[in-house]
Amino acid sequence: MSLLSVQELQTHFIYRDIDYQFREAKALNKVTLSLNAGEVLGIVGETGAGKSLTAQSICGLLRPPAQIVGGSVMFDGKELLSLSEDEINAIRGADIAMVVQNPRSSLDPLTQIGKQLVRVHQTHSGGTILESRQKALDMMRAVGIPDPLGRFNAWPHELSGGMAQRVLIAMALMNEPKLLIADEPTTGLDVTVQAQILDLLEDLVNQFDMACMIITHDLGIVAHYCDQVAVMFAGEIVEQGPTKRVFQTPAHPYTQQLLAATPERLQMGIRSQLGGQPPDLFNLPTGCLSQDRCPKSTKKCETPPPMIDVSSGHLARCHFAESDNKAGSKGGD
Amino acid sequence: MKFSHFIFRRALMVIPLLVGVLFLTFMLVRVGGLDPVGLLAGPTATAEEFEMIREELGLNEPLWRQFVIYTSNVIQGDLGESWLSNRPVLEDIGARAIISLELLFWGIGIGTLIGVPLGLRAAFRPNGRFDQTTRILSLLGFSIPTYWLGLVMLFVFFYLLRWAPPGMGRISLMVSPPDFVTGSYFIDGIISANWRAAYSSLTHLILPVICLAIVSAAPIIKQTRAIALEVISSDTVRFARASGLRTKTVRSIVFRNSATPIVTFVGTEITGLVGTMSLIEYVFAWGGLGQYGLNAIVRGDFTAVQGYVLVLALFSVIVFLAVDIIIAIIEPRADLK
Amino acid sequence: MNNPSSNRWTLARVHNRARGLARLSPTATAGVIIILFFGILALFSNLFMPHDPVASYTDRILQPPSADHWFGTDGNGMDVFSRVIYGAKFGFGIAIPAVLISLVIGVPVGLIAGYRGGILDEVLMRIFDGLRVFPSIILALAVVAATGQSLLNVVLVLGFLDSPVFARLVRSEVLSLRSSIFVESAIAAGNPTWRILFLHLLPNSIEGAMAQTAVRAAWAVRISATLAFLGVGIQAPTPEWGAMIRQGTEFMITGQWWVAIFPGVALIFLVFGLNLFGDGLQDILDPRRRTSK
Repeated sequence: MSLLSVQELQTHFIYRDIDYQFREAKALNKVTLSLNAGEVLGIVGETGAGKSLTAQSICGLLRPPAQIVGGSVMFDGKELLSLSEDEINAIRGADIAMVVQNPRSSLDPLTQIGKQLVRVHQTHSGGTILESRQKALDMMRAVGIPDPLGRFNAWPHELSGGMAQRVLIAMALMNEPKLLIADEPTTGLDVTVQAQILDLLEDLVNQFDMACMIITHDLGIVAHYCDQVAVMFAGEIVEQGPTKRVFQTPAHPYTQQLLAATPERLQMGIRSQLGGQPPDLFNLPTGCLSQDRCPKSTKKCETPPPMIDVSSGHLARCHFAESDNKAGSKGGD
Repeated sequence: MKFSHFIFRRALMVIPLLVGVLFLTFMLVRVGGLDPVGLLAGPTATAEEFEMIREELGLNEPLWRQFVIYTSNVIQGDLGESWLSNRPVLEDIGARAIISLELLFWGIGIGTLIGVPLGLRAAFRPNGRFDQTTRILSLLGFSIPTYWLGLVMLFVFFYLLRWAPPGMGRISLMVSPPDFVTGSYFIDGIISANWRAAYSSLTHLILPVICLAIVSAAPIIKQTRAIALEVISSDTVRFARASGLRTKTVRSIVFRNSATPIVTFVGTEITGLVGTMSLIEYVFAWGGLGQYGLNAIVRGDFTAVQGYVLVLALFSVIVFLAVDIIIAIIEPRADLK
Repeated sequence: MNNPSSNRWTLARVHNRARGLARLSPTATAGVIIILFFGILALFSNLFMPHDPVASYTDRILQPPSADHWFGTDGNGMDVFSRVIYGAKFGFGIAIPAVLISLVIGVPVGLIAGYRGGILDEVLMRIFDGLRVFPSIILALAVVAATGQSLLNVVLVLGFLDSPVFARLVRSEVLSLRSSIFVESAIAAGNPTWRILFLHLLPNSIEGAMAQTAVRAAWAVRISATLAFLGVGIQAPTPEWGAMIRQGTEFMITGQWWVAIFPGVALIFLVFGLNLFGDGLQDILDPRRRTSK
């Protein structure tokens, strides 16, 4: 059984606009994915595709007007969506830990970093302060912070971006999580630092045998660090599978466009590179969500495309997936 | 940089502000048709007497010279003489300043102690029943004229219920004030174990302090709520939630991160509240600086008004400086350069 | 069903929008109702006053509320109810011109200071900062007392003293907009300065200022009443609420509460209504607040 199993997750933004009419944006549309210990899953997509939202939905960190309207999230045998706020709060930071963008502004500016590490350990694991302190120092060493004892009393604003991100990672590891979610962990950092941080993450995942979910818009990162990849568009996963397979033989037109349009390491933050309007989440078409911008779209695309098994573990949500791959692929693996 | 250096530098930066304040005060009183000479001389003065008084007041000098004279006088502590009381303005003001400080201290202190927690609680459950009720109450607090509130309180608690003493002064006429230590009848009464005086002054303190507390709490509630909401939606709090920190801990993080803007805000509010306090003094015949100043303005006591406005401005400047210092103490991010 | 991109303002659409706004912010709606209520009183006071507000019935001095005099009579034998109603005129008559003056002075000053920057901006900001150390009540009081006590003076002084608020608001908007693309392209296209200021910058900077007008109007009503209470600017027997409270002060501790309380209640109501409206406006304009289901 998978450590994490998300089934048909639906998250919508529901609010009233200035005319007092209900407006509903379908931000996540039946997202399904799963993850096992020791695996690294990369979630890619353009801005607004729903990547961060998926992570937030899993952890119960949604803010109004966002709310989960359907689906299930099974983690370690528990249904997260049916837990109370207190229960899921106990899981956050302990079994499931998050590392986010903007490390410098995410740390509490009024508490020294050592104390913050101790605080998160005390909240979930208890024990004496001395034990927590020792653990904090160990973690700081593990993430490569030089002179941990000296830095223990440093203030967040004294740290560089890369250093702060290491602190965040240390914080995430304090309670030995089973799942680590990294939401754009290197965006905004220097290029050299990015590689260091990602290598560090890779090491730690192997060391602690964690499951890891990396959310990014950078295909290069996924290619180098992730075993599995899930491509998102308009709140849907349009293709997923082993990274090598998906990148070498993409089955979904969207993925194909992505890989063809940009060399591996080019970032795709700008929507217009791929042509077409961003999907209107308030008025999604019936059938395939990409039909308006897909070069292969036909009448058939007005019916919802099934998730087609292109090969073992490699899935694509497109009517034409099978036929494309039949041409070039070999048998299973 | 050493802390003492920091304070010194901040104080130094305040000097141009002080000069500006002096200038504004100087101009303020000369702005309109108020004729100090006419008031001093009286209706029966001859032309010569007019001239004499003009000379004495130095009003024949060019304006800039007047300003220089004025400034040098002020630095030496000479604020002129009040024509109403015939005493040096500095003396009049000095005696009363402490009296007003007492009222200000209790009033704003209690107002903040009420306002901040209410604002925070409203922010923790936005748009809930508590929040909406608090917002309406706060807006109501903005809308009630302080002097009217004082009058109503006097009516209800003195006239109707006979609980409070008549709104005259700080201590019952039949009780002699305690020996002077701090200038506050209440504290001095306690210090010298003069319980009768302490009790009497306390009963006189209650109503004006409640008035000032209510009026000062209103903006503090509103602003605290706004500040706390901003902090709650910040990256810091989002990450704290993502780390699974307990609600109590998160709330403490919110409070501490709101502290600096709240302190700044209260500092700016104090200026306005000094004005409101003057009105309360007026209604309750408190005998403080506010009442003195209001009387001086209304009766056209030229020098007294000048001195009063100057002291008020100086007070504000000191408050701003104090706020800066407090923030430098509590903020690790403070740039002490 | 509802097509938001349509530009046609049909009656149904206006009706829907009004209902929508009303439900979005009950505070703003309540505020508008109160303001309209007083507005009607002010405009059509003749219809509502049972007595002449300055007619003094010397045989009925200091009468408690009765069937004939709903709010009782004051120390001059005048009907308090009629005077309270008439007083609404002063509320609007002072607040509206004062706020307009503040806008007319403050908005252009803010635009220019923000746009031009430089010495002008520095000096202006220093002056405004300098003014901040004086309590506004004391400042208003001192200036009005010094410049002569007439209604016109009160309006002018209040308008003038409140303009820094708008100037600062507009200025900060302009500062952030100045480096935006559409302003830069307008400059590059060679638009004359006044065009840029009024056609491009003004519409975008004014939103914050608009929400403040109700709040500043509330302040103007309050301060003018305070001035009258202190006997400055408006004298008895004018039926202005502050002056009426002033007159009623001495009677509060002898038990004739109606003379001072009713004008105060009216004052509170109007100021409260204006504040509600202002607060509600800020609610509507700030999208973050519209997140409930």
